[in-house]
Amino acid sequence: MTSVIEVEHLTKRYGAATALDDVSLSLAENTVHGLLGRNGAGKTTLMSILTAQNFPTSGTVRVFGEDPYENARVLGRLCFVRENQKYPDHFKPVHAFRAASYWYPNWDQRLAERLVSDFQLPTDRLIKKLSRGQLSAVGIILGMAARPDVTFFDEPYLGLDAVARQVFYDRLLEDYSDHPRTIVLSSHLIDEVANLLERVIVLDKGRVVMDAAADDVRGLAVSVVGDAAAVAAFATGREVLRRQSLGNVTSAVVKGRVSEADRARLAGSGVEVTPVSLQQLIVSSADGGLDQGGGVGAVAGSRRGDASVARARNGGAR
Amino acid sequence: MTRISNVVRLQLVNRQAYIFVPLIVLGGAVLIGFLVFLLVPYGGPKYAIGATAAPLWSFVVVGIQALTLSFPFSQALGVTRRDFHLGTVLTAALTSAMLALIYLAIALLEKATGGWGMRGYFALSGLDGDAPLAALASYFTLAMLCFLSGYWCAAIFKRWGTVVLLTVLVGVSVAVVAAALLVIRFGAWDAVVGWLVSQGVLGLSAWGLVLAAGLTASSYATLRRVTQ
Repeated sequence: MTSVIEVEHLTKRYGAATALDDVSLSLAENTVHGLLGRNGAGKTTLMSILTAQNFPTSGTVRVFGEDPYENARVLGRLCFVRENQKYPDHFKPVHAFRAASYWYPNWDQRLAERLVSDFQLPTDRLIKKLSRGQLSAVGIILGMAARPDVTFFDEPYLGLDAVARQVFYDRLLEDYSDHPRTIVLSSHLIDEVANLLERVIVLDKGRVVMDAAADDVRGLAVSVVGDAAAVAAFATGREVLRRQSLGNVTSAVVKGRVSEADRARLAGSGVEVTPVSLQQLIVSSADGGLDQGGGVGAVAGSRRGDASVARARNGGAR
Repeated sequence: MTRISNVVRLQLVNRQAYIFVPLIVLGGAVLIGFLVFLLVPYGGPKYAIGATAAPLWSFVVVGIQALTLSFPFSQALGVTRRDFHLGTVLTAALTSAMLALIYLAIALLEKATGGWGMRGYFALSGLDGDAPLAALASYFTLAMLCFLSGYWCAAIFKRWGTVVLLTVLVGVSVAVVAAALLVIRFGAWDAVVGWLVSQGVLGLSAWGLVLAAGLTASSYATLRRVTQ
């Protein structure tokens, strides 16, 4: 698959704080990427450096094979509306959309109008008077209707209600299948966006802790709940990402596939087996379970440095 | 070139900041000026120069907001810093020229009508019968300097923060006061005033444009590394 963005050993420091720590990754053409992680994990910093709005402390960024800084040829193919995007003082949404149409040759006014009505966005009100959800809608419409080669959505759903969020996911998928392009969706609502994603990149404290195909991540682990002895027997020889016990009932998130034989044995002991959602997997990986668990490969590799970053990248979730 | 003119279009997508606000301020100030001329029971020439200076102050704000608000928006759309800068300064120049033309029209009108029939004057050129070119150049330069001082300060603020901006502003003020003190200390006031007079309005406008060019260049150098 052709990559449109290549990042190598990217580090960003603000004084003593490290926002990005030796990040290496590549973003593929015509793919929906999820950039996941907690608040402060470095998602926005990474996207702002990829779009030359911010500068690396060290490391290199190549977008379409070139340095994006002050490169109109490259920047013109990107759109990155921040979660806290600023707009000119007297702008109404209609002004922001018109301005964007000057810059993006693929600007789709009909799509913009359709989204305006989907989100019930008042286009004739000053942007600074809009609610948080309406402000998010402005950013979503800009990013979608501009239809550049790479669109970055930075927590685009903030303040949107459940219906509006679903509208965004549906429209994005719809437009993406008609006009394939590279999309980077940063989010901390992992399960909500999980179904959209083809590639999952998880940042934690400025490091890449997962970079894998979404399909490989699904089914990477299972949740087992039931008799403590039966769960312990099943978990023997497997990586346990998380374990909680209450009396003689244990709930555990265990990495690895479950064979038919395993399944039958667990069912026989009354142990319930359910797939682990992406969100559960990431949460399990991010808390204590990991540090004790030892090399969790794709899930948590880079905590242990470059070698495991590479392992996480190449190994995916095989 | 298309990219730069696109920045001008972006800045003028909403004409309020660059055009309507200055015009409303100017119109309002002139209207108040008329009332004052009517009400002041004095038969000699009356001057309300402040009325035509009023819209210039809005340009300081426009310059600040160009950097604090329009710049981040242009970044979202993948506009380079260079194109943003050139397009924005060009927008300021175009709208300054528009204001300068209006100022010239006021100057010519009040000259032709003997101060609107009330011996009331808004334009400096009404005072000393300056040539139209001097009226245009001086007003254009003042508008640009107002815009650029806001833009320049905002660039420093966005890049280095409040403390550095205040330090720079205090530094500039101290330098100006020190220069004035030196002039007094060496009893050179007459020479300085003489030099200013010898430059004339056109000459001083040219010096103003030199200062404007310096502010433009240093703003750009600062803007190149501004982050949000």
